Formats: sequence, structure tokens, C-alpha cells
Amino acid sequence: MSAPMTREMLMAFADGQLSPADSAAVRIYLETHADAAAEVALLQRQRDAIATLYAPAAAEPVPARLRVQRLAAEQSRHHNVRVRWAAAAIILVGLGLGAGWFGRAYLDRSPSANDQLMASAVYAHNIFVAEKRHAVEVVAAEQDHLVSWLSNRLATPIGTPDLTGEGFFLVGGRLLPGDPKTGRAAQIMYENAAAERVTVYITAAVRGQGDVYENARFDQTEALFWTNPFITCTVVGTLPDAQMKTIGRAVYQQLTALEEANKPPERQG
Amino acid sequence: MSDFLDQIEQAVPALRRYARALTRNLDLADDLVQDCLERAISRRSLFRPRGPVRPWLFTILLNLFRNSLRSERRHGTAVGLDDLATEPATPAPQHGHMELAELARAIQSLPPEQKEALLLIALEGFSYNEAAKILGIPQGTLMSRLGRARTTLRASNGNSSEPRLRTVK
Repeated sequence: MSAPMTREMLMAFADGQLSPADSAAVRIYLETHADAAAEVALLQRQRDAIATLYAPAAAEPVPARLRVQRLAAEQSRHHNVRVRWAAAAIILVGLGLGAGWFGRAYLDRSPSANDQLMASAVYAHNIFVAEKRHAVEVVAAEQDHLVSWLSNRLATPIGTPDLTGEGFFLVGGRLLPGDPKTGRAAQIMYENAAAERVTVYITAAVRGQGDVYENARFDQTEALFWTNPFITCTVVGTLPDAQMKTIGRAVYQQLTALEEANKPPERQG
Repeated sequence: MSDFLDQIEQAVPALRRYARALTRNLDLADDLVQDCLERAISRRSLFRPRGPVRPWLFTILLNLFRNSLRSERRHGTAVGLDDLATEPATPAPQHGHMELAELARAIQSLPPEQKEALLLIALEGFSYNEAAKILGIPQGTLMSRLGRARTTLRASNGNSSEPRLRTVK
């Protein structure tokens, strides 16, 4: 390192690219070479200035459209269109619904709003199932309050389906902002003895949309989704397929029964 | 698999920062990042890299940036006055505002290949080796681009004879 220092070497030093030994040698050299020291100081100031100019962008909150989970959920939906319709058909049969209903659902579907809802439901699921102490806002012990509060906020009667038959107990629920298109969302969480969790994500119905039934898989997370004239509902979990379908069916049947009971007279028929 | 997505997620702020510095346009930058993320996610099963994810994401982003420059040259792009909005309102106290603004202009007028290289090193902190791989060039080429970029920046500061940024306190 006694040879004259090259500009490349000084630059590599300023960029922190040298090994500790080489760095030490450059530091010793700089003590006796003012020109080189000034050069290094200049390079370092350029770095600082570049950081001052551009680094703050990384501290900004990441906008929704750049959320990786959401993008992945949307993509997995698009990639699985054929699989999805096959699965939807199977579930519809399981639900005891006819092909006519299925066909209508196909014609009426509005993909963008549903994509967004499913992606939001999966996203919310992944965030809150990971929480231990703050998984829900209102706990199961206050179930009556939870139901009336969420029904009021969504301006549509919703319930907390009973999944004890499937081995799942109510943990509680929370209110979420949802998407601008669909408005507020309620997330209801269940847990089984093995501490596996499923969530049910409900919003008021999307205007002008008929009945739709879809499902999507994103990595380990499966989302079962349907809409009707009253609500949209997404059941989200990481359980095996068959178990997800059983739970989805139970949630669907109970929420549908609830709506039948609450159906205003003018909507009959 | 979701570990892979987590790694992508962790890189998003840096990708936004780099894209913003390259394009000087918030929307354009986020469009590039979104395209980059979509590509990365769609390739995750078949084409995921064997090595670290971060440099791979920057490679994708840079390819998209270059494509956008090419189509810009073909079709022309209106440059909004908003470009200036990405200037920091309050620069750090050790730099005079004028100097920073001048430096920003100088960086933006660098040839793209020099700007890409300089920002990978000085802003993103990649090693020369990683940056050379991201750009698909030999390390010697990378260093000469960096050297030229820095000489230009120094000259644009009106200080070519005296190698020092004036510090206004």
C-alpha cells in the first residue's frame, strides 16, 4: 500500500468497499496526503448529499398497490381461474345450489371489486391471526355487543356463525376500514384447540352485484368468497381444503339463514 | 414460499427509493415498482433466483426502467412540473439548499448508465460486485462509470479545481 493511491482505491474506500486491512492502509495513507484526504472527503460528501436527496423516499408508508401479499393474492386468483371455477362448482354442489344460480353468478360477477375484497380479506387475515394479545378488538365474552356493534357499523345485520361443530370457537372480532368501494369490513376470528385460526371477513353488499361465489388460494392461505344482495363474505384460513370447505359451508348457511330472518318485506321474491 | 414473499416485501421501500431517484417522479416510480413486484411474484415458483432476492429485484426494476426509457424515446413523455415536488423541502443542515438542488440536477443529467450505477452504490449501498452483477457489466466497467459520474458531479458544482463541496452553515 506504499505505492501511490489510485483514484479507484480512494473511491472504493469512500464507498466502504475495501477489506478492513485495505481500509486501514488507506486511512494511514490519508494522514500524510492532504490531496487524497480532500478527494475522499468530497466523495463522502457526495454520498451524504445523495442520501439527503433520495433516502427519505424509503421511509414513506408503502401504498396499498405495492403490498406484496395483496399483489400475490390477486395474481394467484388470476392464475387459478380454471381451478377456481372447478372448485366453486364443487362447493356449490355441496351447498345444494343449482346450476342456474351458478350461471347467474358467472354473468353477474364484477371481478375487480371481488378481487380486491378477497385480497383485503387475506391481507387482514395474515395480519391479525399472527397477533396474540391484540388479535381482536371485542372478545367473544362480549358476543352480543360485538354482533350489534358490527351490524350497526356495517349497516347490515351480521352474525357470528357458530363453528363449534367444526371444532372452532369464537375469539372475537374487529372493525376494519375495508376498501373505498365496499366500505367498512368486519373481521370475525375463530380458533380451534390446536390454535389454528380462521377469519370471516364481511362487508355490506357491493351495489349492483348479484350472487357470486369464488375461491382463491394464495400460498398456504385459502379464501372462500361469496356475495349476495346483503353482504360479501370471505372465509380465510390455512386449513386443509376439505376442512376449509366444511367451515365455509357452515358460515354460509348460518349467515344466509340470518339474512332470511332479517329480510325486509320489499326484498322478498 | 411466504418467506420469499417476505423478502420481497422487505425490499419494497428500497425499490421505491431507487426508482424515485431514477425517475424523479413519484407515480412513475411506483408504477415501475409495481411492475417489478408483479413480475417477481409471478416468477416465484419457477424462476426464483438461487441467490439473495434483493439484487434480483433491482435487476428486474432496472430492466423495466430501461424499457420505459426506450418507449419514452419512441413515444415521448410529458414531464410534469411535479417533478420538482420530489425535492426535499428541508435539506439536511450540512448542505446548502442551492448545492443540493444543483447536485440533484447534475445527477439527473448524468447518462442513465452512470446514474444507475452511482445510485446503486451511493444510495442503496450495494457492493461493487453486486452492483456489477445487477447491471450485467464487469466490475471494472462499473468503477469507471462511477468515476465518471463523480467527476461530472464535482465539475457541476463549480468546484472542479478545488475538490470540495462548499459547506454553507
